[in-house]
Amino acid sequence: MEQELAFGGWAGILIMASYGLLMLGIGLFTFLRNRNLRNSNEEYYLGGKGLSIMVLFFTFYATQYSGNTIIGYAPQGYRIGFEWIQSITFMILVMVGYLLFAPRLYALSRKHNFITPSDWLDKRFRSKGITILGSFLMLYGLGNYLLEQLVAVGQGVSGLTGGTIPYQIAVVFFIIIMLIYSWLGGMRAVAYTDTMQGIALLFGVCILVIGSIIYFGGLPTSANYMATLSPEKLGVPEASGISGWFSMLLLTCIGAAIYPHAIQRIFSAKNESTLKNSLIGMAWMPFITTGVIFLVGIIGINAFPKLDVMESEQLVGMMANVIASQNAFFYWAMILLFGGIIAAIISTADSVLLTFSSVISKDLYGKFINSKASEHKQIIVGKISGILAVAVLLLLAWYPPATLYEIFVLKFELLIQIAPAFILGLYWKKLHTASVFTGMIVGTILASLMTFINMEPLGVFSGLWGLLVNLIICVCGSYLFQVTTEEQTEAERIIGL
Amino acid sequence: MKLIKEPIKNWKLWVVFGVLFLLSVPWYFPTGSYKPIILGIPYWAWIILFVSIAFSATITFAIKRLWITEEITTERKEDNKWNKN
Repeated sequence: MEQELAFGGWAGILIMASYGLLMLGIGLFTFLRNRNLRNSNEEYYLGGKGLSIMVLFFTFYATQYSGNTIIGYAPQGYRIGFEWIQSITFMILVMVGYLLFAPRLYALSRKHNFITPSDWLDKRFRSKGITILGSFLMLYGLGNYLLEQLVAVGQGVSGLTGGTIPYQIAVVFFIIIMLIYSWLGGMRAVAYTDTMQGIALLFGVCILVIGSIIYFGGLPTSANYMATLSPEKLGVPEASGISGWFSMLLLTCIGAAIYPHAIQRIFSAKNESTLKNSLIGMAWMPFITTGVIFLVGIIGINAFPKLDVMESEQLVGMMANVIASQNAFFYWAMILLFGGIIAAIISTADSVLLTFSSVISKDLYGKFINSKASEHKQIIVGKISGILAVAVLLLLAWYPPATLYEIFVLKFELLIQIAPAFILGLYWKKLHTASVFTGMIVGTILASLMTFINMEPLGVFSGLWGLLVNLIICVCGSYLFQVTTEEQTEAERIIGL
Repeated sequence: MKLIKEPIKNWKLWVVFGVLFLLSVPWYFPTGSYKPIILGIPYWAWIILFVSIAFSATITFAIKRLWITEEITTERKEDNKWNKN
């Protein structure tokens, strides 16, 4: 992804420094306006449960769409052609996933005052095992997700500046800024910066596609080219690819919706109509985000024919480079686009980091290690553990271990294993606690093992096999070992509305 | 807060989602076919695009009409919060 951009150099440094300063400014502003936020978990991690519609919408948006969506999705469209139109459905299904649990979970979060996703597990099952295991699965998935973003930000920045700013310096610069504004303003700062970052990303992507159409020719040109030279990119995909798509769609539907940082955004909504309207907006964003990026990939087929896999990874950089050299407007628009890509990576990373800290400070430290700690102290523990986590992940990013690299790939596979506890628990009072725990642990082990040995029977992903076994254990266990009437009444009291 | 309607309990909605889910992957067209191409997009990709639009429209409908609560507690809570500040 080392794009050699003609316009790199000082313009790149300038735009990055401005982005950095703007983010810092937002952090400082939030800090000065909300002095008490360091003393309350609700204030720090959920922005006082007061995020308004625009901020909530953009924080959902910037969290769900990372810089990887642009840098990685266009080349994918380039390589597989029109089959990649599925990336739109992909993102829409995440919203279907929300409908499975968001309405009730939101209502319950107001009834019981949840701060973190584990708060729900703890309230529902009152089992140390489930809370700790669930928290660890979340931390593990979040950690790997964060690692991915840290690698991406370095590559993005050094690509943007044509290598003027080395990879390591870029990462350290942005991470320090991210830590400072998260530290200063918590969720509020993260959500406000997300708003700025989301707007930059949307703007950049739209200009990129307009520029591509003007300078490389529109879709008909590209379609003619494909019809002559690579009709497989134009035709209906083969059946073997189709089962893979179905399982990928299902995995996204459940997995991405249950991302802990996404769930925390549900808790942060100011009120129900804010949440509903943000989610409605999100249901339409795939068309103007992944849809538009898909078009860029398709236009690229005609603009830069015959790139191999590695070369195609640099497609966005190559296209931006040509567009930027046309005139001053596109030059600055492309610089903004790259700033937007970096910002999008940072905005995903900051949300993940904040949720990571909240799970450590509130769920592990506050519940099990020092239950008498004040909220102020819990927040400090969260901040420090966040910094430590970033430090460890940075070391991993720069000195990747030679073996066992697979353990850093697992994220969806593990996160999805909390879904039965999370979703079934909302509706089914007869759900048996020990079976939920067993299902979670067996599903995790199975999904991890299958990923390590690269096993995907019937073209279905390992995470889904783990989830299936997990679900069977939960359901059969609940029928076999029936919960007592008292436990049912208690569950009814918790989930009843 | 009382949930009067929630999307998960509306079986018709999930039947619609199921049908859209099945239609969202182009298994029902002859492999490799792409004609006619309209505005540079093959016919089957148009249909997938329409299915996606139907998906988003159904989600919008579900959030608007099938997710209804009486929001009382929130407002009360918010008042308390302001008092605390």
